Amino acid sequence: MKSQIYVFIVALLPLVGDVIKAQPKLSIDMGIGFYEPTLVGFDENETVQFPTKSIFNRNMLFNWGIYYEFFNNARIGYNSFTSYEIGKNILLINSEAVFRRSLTYRIFPIETFFRWKPKIELNFTLAPIWGRARIEMDTTPGDKTDDWNYFITSFGGSANPVSDMGATDAMISDWIGYSSLLGFRYYLNTRLGIDVKAGFMNNQYKASEWRIQRQKVTGPELKIDDLPIFSIKIIYGLR
Amino acid sequence: MKQIISSILFLGIIFAKDGNNKEYNPCNHPLIRLAESKGLKAVPLKDIIKLSKLIKECEKSGGKDQIKKLYENDWKRDYKKAKSMASWTSTHAMVVLVSFGYYFAGKVLATKPGSSN
Repeated sequence: MKSQIYVFIVALLPLVGDVIKAQPKLSIDMGIGFYEPTLVGFDENETVQFPTKSIFNRNMLFNWGIYYEFFNNARIGYNSFTSYEIGKNILLINSEAVFRRSLTYRIFPIETFFRWKPKIELNFTLAPIWGRARIEMDTTPGDKTDDWNYFITSFGGSANPVSDMGATDAMISDWIGYSSLLGFRYYLNTRLGIDVKAGFMNNQYKASEWRIQRQKVTGPELKIDDLPIFSIKIIYGLR
Repeated sequence: MKQIISSILFLGIIFAKDGNNKEYNPCNHPLIRLAESKGLKAVPLKDIIKLSKLIKECEKSGGKDQIKKLYENDWKRDYKKAKSMASWTSTHAMVVLVSFGYYFAGKVLATKPGSSN
């Protein structure tokens, strides 16, 4: 057993040596992305009036990420593209609700790269996606007011002091997908760079796989498979 | 005895003065040395502001060429390390390139069922 451990350590040495020898590079990035999904469930909904679609709540994605150079010319990391939408006074049966929707594409990229020129880098990204859609609403359920009034009155004071209460609940859906991106990076100095990427992502989203309070429900129809995507971001090398 | 003590004190003051007179050279600071030998990214984040001050001081005190060389070497070091792809990384890059090409070629060339005559 002891000799097997030694063999294992000896076998690992070249790999470990490489990691130690190479200067580890940790970088963070922030930027925006653009894509064009078709959110049928919101845009063609005749029962509930959702906020009007615009470039900010449909096409724009907020992007941040962190990368670690684990091998010569290769990085792994985490990257998140998020689309937000917020609406007030969404008319429902009992309340005028506040509505918040987010689509988050959490990307776990393996990025390889090379420097074409001292200041120019070309990079190649292949990434699995763990996506999450979240719809959150602030509503005013009637029973809740009664319960709170009963509870507060038990301490003394006037009867029924509360006339309006709110509750926030969220429905969530997860899916998996994959993405492939080609990138061009221009280094402004040895730490700072601008990175532009273009590619596509494919998401296996299903409207029937939403959940709210541990109950399975059907959510909006979203066409987020087979999507071209474009991003621009600023990179900062921490070390 | 009194003379010995006073002469020791006198010598001590003289030597202390000598130590203070030693000129401070920002170009020889350990942070600049570290940046020169291992690159700018080897300098810890907490010392970045201090390093930029030292660089300015060094340039003012006549070390312009030294700082210019520091930056040049940093660019060269990064470029040398990353100019060609190592091991499996070129295969990975090819996979990305092919999938990218296949996807966008499909977008341009593929026809939807029923759209062709």
